[in-house]
Amino acid sequence: MQLFVQRLFDALANGSTYALVAVALVLIFKATTLVNFAQGELAMLGAFVTLVLAYEQGIPMWLAVFLAMIILGVFAAGVERVLIRPFDPADHLPLVIITLGLFLGINAMAGIVWRFDPRSFPELFPSGNAFTWGSASLRWYTVFTVLTVLVTIGLLQLLLNKTKIGLAFRAVSSNLESSELVGIRVGPTLQFGWALAAAVGTLGAAVYVADPFRQLEPSIMLRVLIFAVSAAALGGLDSLWGALAGGIAIGAIQSLVVPYVPFIPNELGLAAAVVVLMLVLLVRPAGLFGTPAVSRV
Amino acid sequence: MPIKILAGSSQHQLYKVITWSLFALLVAGVAFAYVDVGSISLGENNYNISLIRLNKAIAFAIAILGLQVVAGFTGQLALGQSFFFGMGAYASAWLMADHDWPFLLTFIVVVPLCFVIGIVMGLPALRIQGLYLALVTLGFAAVFPAIVKLDRLFSITNGVGGKATGPDGRKYKLEPPEWLPLDGIAETLQKIPLLGGYFGDGGISSKQEERMWAFMMFTLIAVVCFWMVANLIKSRQGRAMRAVRDNPTGAAVSGIDLARTKAMSFGIASALGGVGGAVYVAEVGLASPDDFTQLLAINFIVGLVVGGVGTLSGAVVGGLVIALVPDWASSTQEVGFLPERWLQGPTGSLILGLLLILLTFFLPGGIVSAARTLKNKIVRIIPRGPNGEVPGGASLATPVTADDTPDEPDSPVDELVGAVD
Repeated sequence: MQLFVQRLFDALANGSTYALVAVALVLIFKATTLVNFAQGELAMLGAFVTLVLAYEQGIPMWLAVFLAMIILGVFAAGVERVLIRPFDPADHLPLVIITLGLFLGINAMAGIVWRFDPRSFPELFPSGNAFTWGSASLRWYTVFTVLTVLVTIGLLQLLLNKTKIGLAFRAVSSNLESSELVGIRVGPTLQFGWALAAAVGTLGAAVYVADPFRQLEPSIMLRVLIFAVSAAALGGLDSLWGALAGGIAIGAIQSLVVPYVPFIPNELGLAAAVVVLMLVLLVRPAGLFGTPAVSRV
Repeated sequence: MPIKILAGSSQHQLYKVITWSLFALLVAGVAFAYVDVGSISLGENNYNISLIRLNKAIAFAIAILGLQVVAGFTGQLALGQSFFFGMGAYASAWLMADHDWPFLLTFIVVVPLCFVIGIVMGLPALRIQGLYLALVTLGFAAVFPAIVKLDRLFSITNGVGGKATGPDGRKYKLEPPEWLPLDGIAETLQKIPLLGGYFGDGGISSKQEERMWAFMMFTLIAVVCFWMVANLIKSRQGRAMRAVRDNPTGAAVSGIDLARTKAMSFGIASALGGVGGAVYVAEVGLASPDDFTQLLAINFIVGLVVGGVGTLSGAVVGGLVIALVPDWASSTQEVGFLPERWLQGPTGSLILGLLLILLTFFLPGGIVSAARTLKNKIVRIIPRGPNGEVPGGASLATPVTADDTPDEPDSPVDELVGAVD
């Protein structure tokens, strides 16, 4: 029982970091119906920027994370303007290729600049346990990670529903051509979506590596991206709260289902996530909370 | 002013014979010239072009050919080619090492195995489209190393250590047959005035013979694959594939079975991936789980795009690029303006990533399309009309009469495809 509770807590911690990256994917998907394969690498870049700001410039940790979010936001806005906007959003192949190119490029660039040896990342949250019950313990890290995700999604909801740019963003994501006709500047709005996504992704990566059991290195987000993609697809690719639900569900599958179901070997947590992704796309392409795509044939 | 050659004329035959003989000569020449370590020197840097690297390039080219079939000609973003590449490699290594099969015989198992698994894994793809398919297939590619490392498969895959192709962890030897006088040929080549120096001196060791034989055999396997795919693309099935790519609804309306066509293309692509993997493992001698990650899958996509999506020769160019660029990048010691640090990390991946982005912008047809534009300035093959009539001046002189109307094409889609290409 205590092991079960411990695994439940692990599921919460993992799931909420997946949810943060999934939220970033959802933001870009809402804007451009594109899954950004480079999202994980952008987030990894953000974590490195945070580290540089905190260690080399001596900026307090949380301020460093905030500055890194802004820097990555600006960077992603530039990427959108230069690399994404020239292409037809309906034609997927060039866009997939561009984001894969970004993926390779950013990963290699980080490897060149920071090398592949793992670095320890300063803790963002107080260490120690909030609550212990026998061998099961709820770490403060888990508590604050869940809180961070809730606050982030809450703030994003406020931003999208209560501000003018949020309104423009929702209009563009619901119908690009009509919003162009009513005078919304579509380009900058999409750019805003990319910037927002990169910022949230950066936060996600920072929180992910702030776990004292993890270290930062350029390939850290490879696995996370796949978990996040399954989480986003499970929750519905255009739903923010869905991303949270999907993230927790994927975390639960990784920490609960895989250890308890005898025929799935432990190493296959990643495979389980991919299978979930495939099943979701097969059975319910809109995910749990997403809007089904309707098209006129 | 280009030389114009009419398709099907005797000049065209001659042109084909000449270009193919040149190709064969090139292959043989490369085999003898670069058997050890051929290198090009630029400034302080040496760039190696040994057969070891070229053999890898051949393996990659075959896998990219598979991607061409599924992504280039059928338009399905099934991008997890490294999965089948790895599977072919492991299956072939397992048969050679544990069951003493000769290398060529392993294809009897590798091809059907990858074909069937490709179709099975492609079945969900009949419902999943575009971007989502790319997600799922790249996901599978990422999972492959974990599957191979499973404890339950240890007896077959040898876990983290990797599976060697020969018994007791040694490399499988590709013995050249007795009748092939490689030594004699090398001797003759060395006697050619002026050029002889490129072919080294003295006799060739058994190790070099082995390497040469491997190169020739791999080239032959690749030629067979390319020849089969070229015919496939021209066949009814191939036209159906291109119709599915260009307009799925139109294709379905014209009576093409979308599901069957897509499933076939998945199967063929996976089989080619498996063949590529088998060639790779025969060259490298060891199938190691971390060689077949999603990074390899992404490298294949780079090869696809750099060579040119939807072209067969693009697969060759792509294979060479992804085999040689990372290798050359890491052997570059000094470039004038770049700090040394930039040359020591994964510079090759950085170049591949940049290539991917730049080519999508400036040369969407890849290197092959640029080469074709160049070639058309020198030699131009003029195709005949549907009835074999000669286009241009000759056909304009004799106006088409009512009797001459071309036969009805098989289906409207055939016509459409003909017009597109």
